[in-house]
Amino acid sequence: MTVALSPRRLRSVVPPLVFGLAFLALWESAVRGFDLKPYFLAAPTKIVGEFADNVGLIWDSSMVSGGNAFVGLVVGTVLGVAMSFVLSRYRFLGELVTPLAIALNAIPIFVLVAVLNNMYSITSEIPRRFMVTLVVYFIVLVNVAKGLTQVKGTHVELMRSYAASDFEILRKVRVPNAKPYLFTALKIAAPASVITAFVSEYFGGSQNGLGSRITSNIANSRNATAWAYVLGACLLGLGFYIISVALENVTRKEGAPIATKQGKIKK
Amino acid sequence: MSAVHVAGVSKIFNQGTPKQVDALVDVNLTVEAGDFVSLIGPSGCGKSTLLRLIANLLEPTTGSVTVNGKSSAQARLDQDYGMAFQQAGLFDWRTVAKNIELPLELKGWDKEKRRARALEMLELVKLPEFAELYPWQLSGGMQQRIAIARALAAHPQLLLMDEPFGALDEMTREYMQGELLRICRETKTTVVFVTHSIPEAVYLSNRVVVMSPRPGRITKLIDVDLGRDRSEDTRNADAFFHGITAVREALRGTHADHANEVRGVEDR
Repeated sequence: MTVALSPRRLRSVVPPLVFGLAFLALWESAVRGFDLKPYFLAAPTKIVGEFADNVGLIWDSSMVSGGNAFVGLVVGTVLGVAMSFVLSRYRFLGELVTPLAIALNAIPIFVLVAVLNNMYSITSEIPRRFMVTLVVYFIVLVNVAKGLTQVKGTHVELMRSYAASDFEILRKVRVPNAKPYLFTALKIAAPASVITAFVSEYFGGSQNGLGSRITSNIANSRNATAWAYVLGACLLGLGFYIISVALENVTRKEGAPIATKQGKIKK
Repeated sequence: MSAVHVAGVSKIFNQGTPKQVDALVDVNLTVEAGDFVSLIGPSGCGKSTLLRLIANLLEPTTGSVTVNGKSSAQARLDQDYGMAFQQAGLFDWRTVAKNIELPLELKGWDKEKRRARALEMLELVKLPEFAELYPWQLSGGMQQRIAIARALAAHPQLLLMDEPFGALDEMTREYMQGELLRICRETKTTVVFVTHSIPEAVYLSNRVVVMSPRPGRITKLIDVDLGRDRSEDTRNADAFFHGITAVREALRGTHADHANEVRGVEDR
């Protein structure tokens, strides 16, 4: 089966592909040419080999980390959307919560997982999932609340001229306006959830996820194996991102404009 | 019964604070059914505020506003008027037809009836082939025509317009003025129209309300004697130039008193 690629598509695919392959070739030849020891830097061919040898184990660890990320992503999104509705309805609550949200976003909140690990049993996945939930929750909350409140003045006046109730304005103006903001949030939150799930594993608990496998393999000087797990982690993050983009394409009506991160309309 | 009756209306923003603004003071205005009345004046004269008081988007501080013989609040609840703004204010996530259907949705019309009316309105503004496109696929002038179609979708007797052609280029603007007159003639709609273009006010209206700022008030009512059937030739008629001169002089009156405050009156 052949996939037809248009010249334009080729132009956008070929250069990064060539660059990536050239980088790998350089890496490989540097390891071989300078005779770098595996504990210093493993060759790409070695990493791929380790990946193939350990693919079952890497898959199992990916399921653990990916599962934590997924649960946190879903719960965080649901809670974030729910809270953004409450905040957009009662503005004074927004003024109370926003500084807290900013403060929590400013500190490296991963450290909280160490505290949470103390609160639950050492083999529990709850602290990690809770951590992911928290990170996702604030990303979704801030973006969706913006989408619900930053509607055009003309639109609100127009709805009021139709004698529309607050609920009708919410349903017909605020919610559709917030939809692209939700997908922007998900595009940021999906990779962030995976990163959070990995990093959470560095603070103790079961040694079953990709993050803890990477640390333990490095501790045992099994550098190439650690890199193989890093490769697995990359693929998992990429998978989450692709799912969030695909979700957006499915829900977006054909031909409708895409709201960019700044909320501007791109054609 | 007059379409709009404004009696002794004042509007004061931020009353009793240092930021108090007397937007309108003792305004009296009657618009008869079938009239096309323009409100003109420099920025800050309260013309948009007056329009929003008629629309019941603002409450007057004193006085009363009556629309179609009812309180303006009741008229708004009954959707007795349609409204159009400088920004077309179309919803990007709705198709053109769905945009026009919006006021009918809120009135609880069923789907077939809504769609039939939307197509009828698209015929009226001469854009029938655009029903399934999205607003951002249309030019500014087309978007504004859709906004007018939406404002008239529920067949209101009164149309309130706040500088609807202010963001359009001059050629499109003159075309839109002609179209608006044709649409109003066909639908027998009464219009209150806010503008700061003198020729626009004269060309469209049978009465021009000249306003001055600080505090906002009506300084002169000018009747324009161009008849009902106006065309592009009207723009070359002596009566058109007389009307422009009369409005300009009335605005100069506001000029002399507030030499440093007149902004935004287009003299083209």
